[in-house]
Amino acid sequence: MKLTQSQIQDLYDFTRRHFVEHYDVQTELVDHLANGIEQQWAVDPNIPFQEALQAEFSKFGVFGFHDVISEKTKAMEKRYWKILWSFYKTYFKLPRILMLIIMTLVVYTSMGVLTYESKGYFISFLFLGVMSVIFVKAIKNRKRLKNNSKKWLMEDMILNHGTSLAFVNLGLQVCINPMILKEVVLHPIGAFVMAFLLTAMVLLFYVMVYVIPPRTEEFLIKTYPEYKMG
Amino acid sequence: MHKKIMYILRKYLNSMGNSKLYKGSLNTIILKLLEEQGKMYGYEITQKVKELTKGELKITEGALYPALHKLEAEGLLDVEVAKVDNRIRKYYKLTKKGVKETGDRLSELEDFIRSMQQLVNPKWNIS
Repeated sequence: MKLTQSQIQDLYDFTRRHFVEHYDVQTELVDHLANGIEQQWAVDPNIPFQEALQAEFSKFGVFGFHDVISEKTKAMEKRYWKILWSFYKTYFKLPRILMLIIMTLVVYTSMGVLTYESKGYFISFLFLGVMSVIFVKAIKNRKRLKNNSKKWLMEDMILNHGTSLAFVNLGLQVCINPMILKEVVLHPIGAFVMAFLLTAMVLLFYVMVYVIPPRTEEFLIKTYPEYKMG
Repeated sequence: MHKKIMYILRKYLNSMGNSKLYKGSLNTIILKLLEEQGKMYGYEITQKVKELTKGELKITEGALYPALHKLEAEGLLDVEVAKVDNRIRKYYKLTKKGVKETGDRLSELEDFIRSMQQLVNPKWNIS
């Protein structure tokens, strides 16, 4: 005896109720539960659907789908960072590295013309300004995610990573406190290193928020063979 | 002396229960199965292991999928999907890197088993 289409739908609802948010993870669990239920029916076709489902679910242990979700998230996170890195590293090769050098030099020379007192503030406010623009875009990306009925884990990573910037930004604001910065940027090497680090960091966030999200569809097709089927 | 070592070792292994012993080898078991079968889906793996070990080893669902996802993230497994009986089924198969890794892990496991055998059942005949 095989499961009907509506029972399959019930299984999707069941996984959702058990905190499996993403369609790709749900799909795999639905097939597993369905196989288990059908196996039980092969032995005794009179077992009610819900009873068979509970028996299959209990095999996942006391934590239910928790381990499956967390391991899948870790695996997808790894995949996401690989994608991010593949784009980011192109900015350290010709011709894009020229852009990185020019931007670094602009920040560095801007510091050079400033007074000792204002150097720290300049860096701090410049960073805050650029990050605010990126952050607004990150929130817009995230809104795109909310409109989707089917959520994919990879899509979540791509469109949601920008919002983690809020915390990174906050942390960096503390680190690049103008008072501390003043000491660092006083030395020409310190100022150059600071200009380079800042540019490289802004570039990373730029790739995260402006470069990868518009290509979400492309990565979903690559990651999920079932994307086009669903 | 060797009796004492054997006693401690047996006691240790018994206290672990075979599930823990198998747990460390779960990834290798999955890789080996995929090497033999070509491609398999999750439920099929649990059933195959049960069948091969005559029910002595049950791969729990809570351990299997995390292991599969980890192996996939390491680039050892690739996925393929097909529509079967009203639903989507995800098949796992070894990548090129996975095939190589399977060979390495199997020989490691064989070495381990050999060492354990020597410890548990030493042959004391020198000739």
